[in-house]
Amino acid sequence: MPASFFRWLTTSPWAKAMNGPEWAFPVVQSIHFIGFALSIGTIAVVDLRLLGLGMRLQKADELARDLEPWTRAGLAVMLITGPLMFSADAVTYHYNPSFQFKMVCLMLALLFHFTIHRRAVRSDMPPIAARLAGAMSLLLWTAVVAGGRMIAFI
Amino acid sequence: MSVPAMLEWIESTDLSTAIREGGLPYPIIGGVHLLAIAWFGGMLLATDLRLMGWAMRRQLVSDVVCQLQPWKRLGFVVVVASGLLLAWSEPIKLYRSPAFWVKMALFALVGVHALVFRAGVYRHPTKLDTGVTPQAKLAAVLSLLLWAGLIVSGRLIAFDS
Repeated sequence: MPASFFRWLTTSPWAKAMNGPEWAFPVVQSIHFIGFALSIGTIAVVDLRLLGLGMRLQKADELARDLEPWTRAGLAVMLITGPLMFSADAVTYHYNPSFQFKMVCLMLALLFHFTIHRRAVRSDMPPIAARLAGAMSLLLWTAVVAGGRMIAFI
Repeated sequence: MSVPAMLEWIESTDLSTAIREGGLPYPIIGGVHLLAIAWFGGMLLATDLRLMGWAMRRQLVSDVVCQLQPWKRLGFVVVVASGLLLAWSEPIKLYRSPAFWVKMALFALVGVHALVFRAGVYRHPTKLDTGVTPQAKLAAVLSLLLWAGLIVSGRLIAFDS
């Protein structure tokens, strides 16, 4: 995307709000943490089931269906607070290798979640493939969080 | 030994210096801390949402509580261990940070929460299968609030000085 768009983002009203009071950024960031804990945490419960490591008395399909609204709520919170933080310093983030890594992982993780992961949950796959899907999902989301944490240090 | 002297001693240890000035260790431990927060938070959320009757209502309360407990504990241990390492690397900064003391106060309340609700809620979850008691719902709400409070106060530490 053109750099001018990112420059414009940093001058947007919401970017100004984020760069205003000192507490704005950490508070939005905390909400971001709570959002991804909700989404990734509920996904992790399903992944444990796919891996056969936890919640073995439950069916993966039922678990996923019951937790899906909370997963989506968490995704919504993180996808609102994330761009808010990005806007605050868009140009810098755009060039940050950790940020770029995180965005690639996030796209893959989301794509995976709504395609292969979903099929694995609905038991369209043999057990070994379901285990692989659970492991892949945990790995992708871990990479997203780790990439996010590294942004501040690179 | 006075408190400032003790904090200075901590900062002078090899471990403290290695984490603080070693380059990679600090962000890696920070990353592990954050991942464990999400992991622990996720297991906690799933448990509490079930206790509150907001999710997984088709599943037995005891099934959810018991099966997630070991994973919740694993997350808790990793959060605390990585948190201790982070604290060990910059005790003087933390000692001066109001947000850090808020966080420690909340952490103490986590202990109080365990003492108050362990016997009635978490030790015999099968008793809740026939109906979740108001006490169990209160335990769930309070644990979520404490966890969220710990996140916010923890994040504010970085912006305190």
